[in-house]
Amino acid sequence: MRGALLIVLLVAGTVAGLLWGQVALAPGALWQGLATGEGPAALMIGTIRGPRVGTALGAGAVLGLSGALFQTLFRNPLAAPDILGFTSGAGLAVVVSIAFGLVAPMPLVAAAGGILAALLVTGIAWRRGHRTPPLSIILVGLGMGFFTSALSNFLMTLLPQAEAAEAQRWVTGSLAARDWGHVAQVWLPGAALLLAALGQARLLETLELGDDLAAGLGLRVEAVRRGLAGTGVLLAATGVAVAGPVPFVALMSGPLGARITGATSVAGRLLSAAGAGALVLMLADLVARSALPGIQLPVGVMTGILGAPYLLWRLSREMDRGKL
Amino acid sequence: MSLTAEALTIGYEGRRVIDALDLDIPEGKVTAILGPNGCGKSTLLKTLARLIEPESGRVLLQGDDIHASHSGKLARRLAILPQDPLAPDGITVGDLVRRGRTPWRGFLSPWREEDAAACARALEAVQLTHLAERPLNELSGGQRQRAWIALVLAQDTPLLLLDEPTTFLDLVHQLEVLSLLRQRNRDTGLTVVSVLHDLNMAARFSDMLVLLGRGGLVATGAPDTVLTPDNLERAFGLAARVEPDPVTGKPMVCPL
Repeated sequence: MRGALLIVLLVAGTVAGLLWGQVALAPGALWQGLATGEGPAALMIGTIRGPRVGTALGAGAVLGLSGALFQTLFRNPLAAPDILGFTSGAGLAVVVSIAFGLVAPMPLVAAAGGILAALLVTGIAWRRGHRTPPLSIILVGLGMGFFTSALSNFLMTLLPQAEAAEAQRWVTGSLAARDWGHVAQVWLPGAALLLAALGQARLLETLELGDDLAAGLGLRVEAVRRGLAGTGVLLAATGVAVAGPVPFVALMSGPLGARITGATSVAGRLLSAAGAGALVLMLADLVARSALPGIQLPVGVMTGILGAPYLLWRLSREMDRGKL
Repeated sequence: MSLTAEALTIGYEGRRVIDALDLDIPEGKVTAILGPNGCGKSTLLKTLARLIEPESGRVLLQGDDIHASHSGKLARRLAILPQDPLAPDGITVGDLVRRGRTPWRGFLSPWREEDAAACARALEAVQLTHLAERPLNELSGGQRQRAWIALVLAQDTPLLLLDEPTTFLDLVHQLEVLSLLRQRNRDTGLTVVSVLHDLNMAARFSDMLVLLGRGGLVATGAPDTVLTPDNLERAFGLAARVEPDPVTGKPMVCPL
């Protein structure tokens, strides 16, 4: 069972994430800290690295799951919420709320922004009487991503310096200064949405056979598609609310997870993507905060460095296969 | 299970392709829908399968209007194999066929004995039992088409519609597919309706033909009453002689 490999990688990654950073802990100190709850290790894990790693795992998982869901729904490996502009839409909503001092829970603001971006993208790509081709959604989504990022940047220039720096950090995607509240904020809705996604796995499996055959098998195709897309947008927004619009995690996790576990069923692929997303974001954050002495990079910089070459490789591959 | 179209008018991409068509699909028989490209054969079939909403008129399945029926329940009575279904990456033949059980399975309901039995029967009917574990994309074109047919057979409906099931197959595989449908019809009383291109194949394997022209229905009935030089001229603008097939005695179209 290759699913075990992913679990082993996750456990090992989590231990590494707790041990390493600007200050490295000895494994013995980690063990003692966890067992007794006392000493500098316990303090570091309880207040700094624990919540940070917990947030990274949760946010990575929901982003990865969201990516795999959209990739399967659109039958296109490029159709991830970060490419489609949904995550930067969610990011823009948060910057707007910071800029105008709106008092609303961050996850709700991010979800509203993500849903709005998704509706705009599908609305612009839609043509009366024709089925929307995935490629037009992707292209419109790319445009939406650039547009919302530009708006975010514009708003930030209007902010006072301290808030601008905070918003800047946020828009890049950052896991700095997370507390256990953030962990709960991503894990609780994340778990509910994971169950919702797995509950719809069988519908997605039928939809994969094409709209006509799925309808012949009794599926209400449009309603099913809306339900899946809604779940996917909420998953992405849940991740964005605690980690910012980190690029490329959603895009990479589906293919990476399937490669690690070899899963072929839809439910298996969704779970693999969640695991791979958790792994990627956590490791990217580990590198980002410990690679340069004295400097903690935002995790979004790291996933950008990892993800951009992957995107280029994927684009050229899709072009070779004639799908673009 | 009888399927009836009443005053069916269908538009497709802003064009009216079928106008006020009345049609009775006989129960327990094999029916083929024929006609020139662009005459609306596939559109008619999809409307009969509730995939396209007609502009006016009704399609009745045993007296129930199918466009007003619950889609999930309808899928237990009527199956359709579209022309170009999509194969999920890396799927095996057995997994593909198992998806045909969708309308019989509730939300989160486990895989039951009867689901396995229906899939086994379907694989046997298309003679792919020995290839059930193989990935679909390793199969030949003819085998692949039989796997898709096994999926809709596993759906266990009394009525099966197929959109051009033989179009991309060579002659031998066409014969294979059409005779397995004929066999299934004889064994289980399955009502089969397919859109076909080859007139002689249709005559050979069907009890009833529905011949469409660009202006709508040209003729319907037994093959020897439908495939006449007159009807072929009206449907296709084709000058042809019709002779008895030396092997089967069914009408055989020889273009002039």
